[in-house]
Amino acid sequence: MSILQIQECQGRLKPAKAMNLTIKEDEIAYLEGRKGTIAIAKSKGFFFYLETEAEERILFTEPEDLIVASSWGVGDKVKRALACTIFQLREMQAPLIVLSKGHPASPRLKVVVSIGERTRCSCQIQPGTHPEQDVLCASQEFHQIEIIGQPGGAKILGLAEEESNIAVQKL
Amino acid sequence: MCTVGGGPDIGNIESLAAKDYECLDCKNQFKGMGRRPMCPSCKSRNVKAV
Repeated sequence: MSILQIQECQGRLKPAKAMNLTIKEDEIAYLEGRKGTIAIAKSKGFFFYLETEAEERILFTEPEDLIVASSWGVGDKVKRALACTIFQLREMQAPLIVLSKGHPASPRLKVVVSIGERTRCSCQIQPGTHPEQDVLCASQEFHQIEIIGQPGGAKILGLAEEESNIAVQKL
Repeated sequence: MCTVGGGPDIGNIESLAAKDYECLDCKNQFKGMGRRPMCPSCKSRNVKAV
């Protein structure tokens, strides 16, 4: 990320808005901004495999928890990629392969994922600077928004509605 | 909670607090994170932290 991008992020004022989104278990919600897209789906209380070079860990979730996927880009192609990622993780129980820092494949990955009760989006994440594991890298228009799982859907805090299109579809 | 993928966004997964569990039904041992552990092999919730 460039210094300019970071300054743009810091310059944004986020209204303290709360939005409730209804998301059924077979649905996916898209937040499409100017430069990026976020997809949200329920975790359905499933567990997820996290694989490192050394070991396997299982991430347990609650039914109201969320899978949040973020990508840089907009349009149908990006939405399909996000839906595909979520479908693979949740319905196919595909393992999340965790690459080590500095791995050459890292910059080639197009989607980042957060799974759990809440996710905070940031466009300021830099390598090695974010020990918090509920932070998800996202584009500028989603900087500082918070996505919280709740029964029947999700609550989104800090989203400037005029900067994003919201759609809920069948997954 | 986990963040995975993308160049600037890979969390240090080894730093996450995970517990070792054993399934009391199938004896499978696994390392897990979260509030409601379940055996990934037999799907039993009859597990204990070891």
